[in-house]
Amino acid sequence: MVGQWRPFPGSHDGSLGYITSHVAVLGEQRGTGDMIFDKPEFRPGGDRNILVYLGDEMSFDLNFLVHSYAAAIREARLDGVVELIPELASLLVSYDPERIAYNDLIRELVAIRASIGAIAGIELPSRLFYVPVLYFDPWTQACVDDYRARIAEKEPDADFLVSLNGLADRRQLVRVHSGTEYWVAALGFWPGLGSFLPLDPRCRLTAPKYDPPRTWTPKGTVGIGGAITCIYPDRTPGGYQIFAISPMPIWDPSQRLAAFRDSLALFKPGDRVRFIPIDREEHDYISGKVDDGTYKHPDVGFQCFSIDAYHGWVDTLDPTERF
Amino acid sequence: MANATIDVVKPGLETSVQELPGRIGYWEQGFPPSGPMDIWSFRLANLLVGNPPETAALECQFLGPELVFQAPVRVAITGADMMPMVDGGQVDLWTTLQLEAGQRLTLGPARTGARAYVAISGGIDAVPVLGSRATFHMAGIGGIDGHAIKTGQSIPIGQAGNGPQHGTRIAPAARPAINGERHWTIEVVAGPNDDWIDAAGKARFLEADWTLTAKSDRTGFRLSGPAWSFSPLATQKRPEHGRDPSNILDHGYPFGAVNLAGQTPIILVNDGPSTGGFINPYTVITAAFWKLAQSRPGDIYRFAALTVEEAQQRRRQLDRHCTPASLVTA
Repeated sequence: MVGQWRPFPGSHDGSLGYITSHVAVLGEQRGTGDMIFDKPEFRPGGDRNILVYLGDEMSFDLNFLVHSYAAAIREARLDGVVELIPELASLLVSYDPERIAYNDLIRELVAIRASIGAIAGIELPSRLFYVPVLYFDPWTQACVDDYRARIAEKEPDADFLVSLNGLADRRQLVRVHSGTEYWVAALGFWPGLGSFLPLDPRCRLTAPKYDPPRTWTPKGTVGIGGAITCIYPDRTPGGYQIFAISPMPIWDPSQRLAAFRDSLALFKPGDRVRFIPIDREEHDYISGKVDDGTYKHPDVGFQCFSIDAYHGWVDTLDPTERF
Repeated sequence: MANATIDVVKPGLETSVQELPGRIGYWEQGFPPSGPMDIWSFRLANLLVGNPPETAALECQFLGPELVFQAPVRVAITGADMMPMVDGGQVDLWTTLQLEAGQRLTLGPARTGARAYVAISGGIDAVPVLGSRATFHMAGIGGIDGHAIKTGQSIPIGQAGNGPQHGTRIAPAARPAINGERHWTIEVVAGPNDDWIDAAGKARFLEADWTLTAKSDRTGFRLSGPAWSFSPLATQKRPEHGRDPSNILDHGYPFGAVNLAGQTPIILVNDGPSTGGFINPYTVITAAFWKLAQSRPGDIYRFAALTVEEAQQRRRQLDRHCTPASLVTA
C-alpha cells in the first residue's frame, strides 16, 4: 500500500482545470443588472464557511459589488469572521462558530448587504501595478511548440487570438492587450494567481481554453482564457492561450525582493494592473536585476477607484472601436 | 547557546512541519491554510509533551522518519501506528517518552492509519512564513525551507517548559479509533452547490460506497464511485459558467469541499486550491478530517449528511478530547 502512495504535486488534474475554467465570455461590461440579486444567496460550506452568491453573471459591476461587500464586512469587524475570499460573483466567508453562530452571521451579512444597496457612489482603494511584458517571447513560444508536438496540434496561440478577436495582426493584439488597465477581480488556486478583467471595453479579448490542458507553463507567462487575463506566478500546468511573458516576479516564496516584504504575492483583489510592452533587451536587463536580487518593482500607484467616474468614462467610449 | 536540534537521518515519505491553526489571513491571495490533517491526534501529541496543543510538530505520511535528538526532550507519537522504536526498542503510541540527547527515534511504514504525529517538547522552532510554521510544500512555503524534511537537516526545537512525566498516556476513550478498519463514515454538510445535483444524484452520493484512490494527497482526496446526475441549474445555466455540468463561475472553495470536476469528486483538504470553476455539492465537516487523514488508498467511504449545527457540535465534542483532562499519569 505504501508503495502505491505518491505525492502528486500539481497533478490535481480535475481542479487544475481551474485555470482553464473560464470558458465564459464577458457579455456586457456593465452587466445586464438583472442578474445581480437584490438579496444575497447564502449556502453553507461545512461547519465554518459560508458561500455568499451576489448574482449570476460575469460582469465588472457584479465583481465590484463583491469587493464593496467584502470591504463593508471588513469594516464591520464582526467578531468571529476569520477570512474572506472575494471571487467573480460570490464571496466565501470563513468564520469561527464558537464566536458567531451560523444564523447570527447570516443575519449580519444580510444587514451589511442591505446597507450597501446599489454600487453607485462607492469608491474603493485600489493600487495600480505596472507590469513589464515581452510579447511573443521565445519561452512561451517553446511551450506552445512543445504542446503541439507532444499533446495536440493547434493554431499558435497568438495567431489564434488575432483571428478569433477580429484583429489585423499581432501588433494590434499588443496594442489592444496593453491598452487598458485590468481589474484584479480575484486571486486563487495558486498563490498570487489573479483573474484580471479589462476595464476598457474596447480591449476585451476572449479565447477558449486548451483542451486538454498544458502540463507546464513558464513562470511569468501571460495568458487569456474566457474574458480573463492572468499571469502565471510560477511554473504550473494551465489552460489559457499564452503569448507573452513578464520578467517581473509577482510572487516570491523566499521574499528576497523588497516588494514581497509584507506578503509572498504581489497582488490583492481590487488592485489594478497595466501591462507595459518591453523589448528583449529590457527583458534581459530586468531578469538580470531579479537574479542578482537588486530589482525594484515599479512604483505602485495608490488611488481610489470610483465606480461613478468609471461608468461616466465608459459611457463616452465607442465599444466597437479598437486601437 | 545554540538551539537544540533534531537530526534527520531518514526523512520518511513526506514528513512536514505543521502547526495550528495554519496559515490564516492570506487565503484571498491563494495561500491555503495547510496545518495538520488529523487535528485530533496532532493536539494530543502536543499535550503529551507539555506543549500548547497548537504547537508546531511533525506530520509523517505513510512512512515515518528516523530522527536523532541532540538534547534531552519529551517526545510523543500519535495517530497512525508506524511501529515506533527508540534505539531499536519498541515504544508505545499515545505516551510521553522522556529521551536523552543522542537517542534515536525510528518510525516505519504505517501498519494502521496513514498519518502519524511526532511532537517534541518546546515545539519545532521553524521560522514562521506569513504568520505560520505550517508547511505548504507544493509552493515551497513554511516549515523547514518550505518543503518536507530532508536527510541531513538539523531541525531547531524551542525551549521546553515543564510537562507530563515519562509514561503519561492518553485515556483510551479520548483517542481517535485508528484500528485498521477500512470502512469509514464521513460526515458532510449539504452545500454549497447541492442544488446543482438532482434527487437521484444526491441519493447516490449518500448511499454508495466511494473508494479512495491512490491519486490523493494533502491537496485533494480523489474518489471513485457511481456517476453523478444533475439538476437544471447545472444543465440550463448562463454561458459564463462553462460547458460542463460541473462548471460554475469561479468561486471560493470551502475547506473540505467535495469538488466535482466532471464526474470525479475530489475532497479538497489542507493544501487544496482556494478557488476554481467547479461545483462543490457537499462539504466534509472539520470533525471528520481525522478520518480522511487516517484512511488509505482503497479504503471505502460512506457519506452521512448533518446539519450545520450538528457539524459544529461534532467539532465541540472532538475539541473536548484535546485537553489535559485526557492525560492519564502512569
